[in-house]
Amino acid sequence: MGVLKFARTGRLTSLGRADDRGSGGTDSLGDQLRQAGRGDQAAFGRLYDELSPLVHGVVLKVVRDPAQSDEVTQEVFVELWRLAARYDSSKGSVKSWAATVAHRRAIDRVRSEQASRERNLRDVSGLMPAHDAVADEVETTFEQARVRRALDELTSLQREAVELAYFGGHTYREVAQLLGVAEGTVKTRIRDGMIRLRDELGASND
Amino acid sequence: MTDVDIHHLGAAYALDALDERERMAFEAHYPSCDVCRADVSDFRSALAQLAGASTAAPSTSVRAAVMAEIAQTRQLSPMLPDSISDLAERRRRQQRTYGGALAMAAAVVLAFVTGAMVTGGDEAPAYATDLEFVLAHGDARMVTLGSTGATGSSADGSVKVAWSDEGERMVLLANGLPGAPDGQAYELWLIGADGSVPLRMLDDASEGSIRSSIGIGTGVGIDSAPRAWGITLEPSGGSDAPTGDILYLTDV
Repeated sequence: MGVLKFARTGRLTSLGRADDRGSGGTDSLGDQLRQAGRGDQAAFGRLYDELSPLVHGVVLKVVRDPAQSDEVTQEVFVELWRLAARYDSSKGSVKSWAATVAHRRAIDRVRSEQASRERNLRDVSGLMPAHDAVADEVETTFEQARVRRALDELTSLQREAVELAYFGGHTYREVAQLLGVAEGTVKTRIRDGMIRLRDELGASND
Repeated sequence: MTDVDIHHLGAAYALDALDERERMAFEAHYPSCDVCRADVSDFRSALAQLAGASTAAPSTSVRAAVMAEIAQTRQLSPMLPDSISDLAERRRRQQRTYGGALAMAAAVVLAFVTGAMVTGGDEAPAYATDLEFVLAHGDARMVTLGSTGATGSSADGSVKVAWSDEGERMVLLANGLPGAPDGQAYELWLIGADGSVPLRMLDDASEGSIRSSIGIGTGVGIDSAPRAWGITLEPSGGSDAPTGDILYLTDV
């Protein structure tokens, strides 16, 4: 376990994964966001370039329809602009914040259209592999491999529940209905799965 | 909700997988809970990495559309605690559910805890507990009291009320209220079928924030269910019936 942890830490350092908490250079995400929060549109444009693949990836996974996903991604960035001055680095990285806002917006969209209830389990299951074939998906091979390894540490039941909630946009009650198991069971799977995912991915380092 | 350990909802919350009522209750809880706050932050971080493994480029037209829209979009000021602005932000997007837009400038929340007033900008645990209690009921509702503009420019700020008839309790959250003139104070009214019932004097707290948790319903001697909530300025001792203009009002 100690070796694994060291390996993870070493990888994070040696590959120079973006430290976007703003301690360093002028173009860290945190710095750009601070500038954007003071009304700097050019800085926000750079932020868009950095974050749009992440944001749109989340939105597309949940919303699925490309045209609607473009709309939601636009909404997300306008919201990030509005909220820029309220970003609090003590609560997580810029990427984490952007992904949170993106997911909420995407969920709002699908729930408001009750799309989540119309999609069936088989439909959502098609989404589950981390390597599904969205045509314009940008492959980030290393990250994918790392995340896939982390997902492999989840039991298949945990993974199913987490992915149905996150990518399927279902509440845990809906997930329970979809899987035909008790709500408490799903809640436990989701929680245990998220704890394992957090431990595997090293939550504090994104 | 009552049979759920709220500390175990962080994962489902981070996944946006709670239903509306649980989400509201958890949002009332977790900002003041070190464990849950860390959970939410960590889970969100893990999910961002999960999402980062399947990035996708939006259509090229999106960037220009975003840049054009932000050029005419006002940014929010940075002062407010995130937990509350999150909450207010979510509520704003869900006007359909709650029947009114929140004034976004508004966010420090106020509540009296039965008998004892809590002041200041921090989340008071007792306030959070009462809000959780209210929101845990199936009939819980939350509305925004809009300024009626009765006194012109001074009726600023925002007031929200969450209540449950079943739970016989209401929690008032407000901020940015202008200071009451000397000798006067805000008074909260439950407007029911039988008229207005004075509920509580809302003493000025720091920076116009008040947090109040108040018993309502037959169990505490109030006969009629609320049809509206209103706030007036009254002589500081309070009045039996409203004498001042209604400054904030909502229909139930």
